[in-house]
Amino acid sequence: MTGPRGPALRETLREWLHGLYHGMIEHPASEKIEQEAEDLEDMFIMACFPDAFGISSPTAYYTAELLPYVAEDLAAWERRMWNRESVLERKGHQYHF
Amino acid sequence: MPAFTFFGGKGGVGKTTVSTAYAMQLARGGARTLIVSTDPAHSVGDLIDQPVGPDPVAVTDVDGLRAQEIDPRRTVEEHRLQTKRELRDQVSAGLVREIDAQIDMAHEGPGAHEAALMDELIAVMRGAEAYEQVIFDTAPTGGTLRLLALPELLEAWIGRLREKREAAMRLYDRAAIGKKQSRRQREGDVILERLRERRDRFRFARETLQSAGRFILVANPDALSVRESTRAVEQLTSYDLPVAGVVVNRITPTPPADEHGEAAAFLRERVAVETAQLRALETAIDAPILARVPTVAGAVLEDVGDALGAIDAPPDEDAH
Repeated sequence: MTGPRGPALRETLREWLHGLYHGMIEHPASEKIEQEAEDLEDMFIMACFPDAFGISSPTAYYTAELLPYVAEDLAAWERRMWNRESVLERKGHQYHF
Repeated sequence: MPAFTFFGGKGGVGKTTVSTAYAMQLARGGARTLIVSTDPAHSVGDLIDQPVGPDPVAVTDVDGLRAQEIDPRRTVEEHRLQTKRELRDQVSAGLVREIDAQIDMAHEGPGAHEAALMDELIAVMRGAEAYEQVIFDTAPTGGTLRLLALPELLEAWIGRLREKREAAMRLYDRAAIGKKQSRRQREGDVILERLRERRDRFRFARETLQSAGRFILVANPDALSVRESTRAVEQLTSYDLPVAGVVVNRITPTPPADEHGEAAAFLRERVAVETAQLRALETAIDAPILARVPTVAGAVLEDVGDALGAIDAPPDEDAH
């Protein structure tokens, strides 16, 4: 019989268990948290650049300073904002219907 | 910290003349004084008959007085170029064009002008350690008041932005599996740093205005100016900004009693109208009248300065 024994067996077992824990608990949870973070970030960008939706902002001059640092995320953000039909549409994703 | 005096009032009431005459008087009294013009028409230079630029220059006729003219248009342009330079350092060429348009948009219109002016005022206030008295000949009422209300509004608004940003950062942190640091976290630091810097600047402006600033309104003895000043005092007070009082400028002198010509009759009629307006001002306004400046014929700055004699210089905090 071949296969891991002793410390090697324990190591494999630990890896499997951690994988199981990661798949069942860690990953779905971090997915939710990450989406929550994305939602918050969307609100942040929305508050910084309401001009993109035709709402004029009294602070556009100051928030323009941030544009170079959010430029990469801006395209994706705009798509997300325009496509979001309801709060449920996005929140629903976490349940994997 | 020096004392900061802002002269406000409707366009054309004589803010530049009154504020310059006052600054000269303070300097002649021995205070190291700076007069700052934020009026795009830039008339301090015309008044003292000497070129004045964005950096303070010594006024040749008056020892201890320096003058400076701020041009918000130039500031807007520099800010636009600086933001675009940073954009080119940060993102790929493809993205630059799209974001460039948005940067341009943010630098157009009256909002940008006011924001830039605010930045310049803060810069002057921060760099004014060498002076005991700083006098601002501000832009006309409406814009100025909105501008001076901005620090408070902006500070609250930036506070909320930072909270959102920080909450998002914390969540990304928790979502990160293992000890991985996301790209967002690294970039977020720049954004939070910017917001913090902005908040500090606005907080400084608000605190300085409330502790070492005061507002003097210049009015003419006519109905429009009286109403405008009454509103301005109410607004400044509602923003918790200290109003020292009102200077009434261009009061028609009463002709000698033995004059009976047509001109004298006209002047008497004017004086009666103005006296009624002044009385209306005194009852409507919740601030003292600091000085009454007559219409002057000859050496404008000297005569106006003499008439202003009644206004006390605010204490310069270091002097005590």
